[in-house]
Amino acid sequence: MSKKVAIIASNGGLFDAYKVFNIATAAAATEQEVTIFFTFEGLNLIHKEAQEELPIPAGKEHFQEGFTKANVPTIPELSMMAQELGVKFIGCQMTMDVMGLEKDQLIDGIEVGGAVTFLEYAKDADITLTF
Amino acid sequence: MNTDKFLDAKGLACPMPIVRTKKAMDELSSGQVLEVHATDKGAKNDITAWVQSGGHELLKQEEENDVLKFWIQKG
Repeated sequence: MSKKVAIIASNGGLFDAYKVFNIATAAAATEQEVTIFFTFEGLNLIHKEAQEELPIPAGKEHFQEGFTKANVPTIPELSMMAQELGVKFIGCQMTMDVMGLEKDQLIDGIEVGGAVTFLEYAKDADITLTF
Repeated sequence: MNTDKFLDAKGLACPMPIVRTKKAMDELSSGQVLEVHATDKGAKNDITAWVQSGGHELLKQEEENDVLKFWIQKG
């Protein structure tokens, strides 16, 4: 039975990105319908340049080595894989306006929408997550 | 055991073993068997849960020198 997963990504660090994309990718690979709403700093996760070099929290820089050692995919790889598996990305229009971001600065294949776009999807979601 | 397709997911971290398993499974038809090898320790529970949620069947699971092996029959 296919379930609906609704995720809000509102933080822009490397750890946040892994939490969001790992759960989304795993859910999509388990035949679940997934939509992620990227808002505020969460927009970094789908920003063409920013997603390549997301910050690691201060004092946790040594984790970088662990990521490499554990052979964890990079964030651009994971986000592309999520899209391949059918995960839908929605960028928050209001935050984009506040931050002065244009759609073409974000990765391809995303939609731009407002809070209602997400709420409409999330109203009958089986799982809702916020990161 | 009779295997229709083999997937080497050794050295891959979560969620890649699941993603690769899904993709490999998409190429099989109902009743065919996929053999997966993984070294991600989380895969033991992950693949078991994935098999269940997808309506497939885990025919056999064993561990040999830190390699987790799964035989999954497509539902």
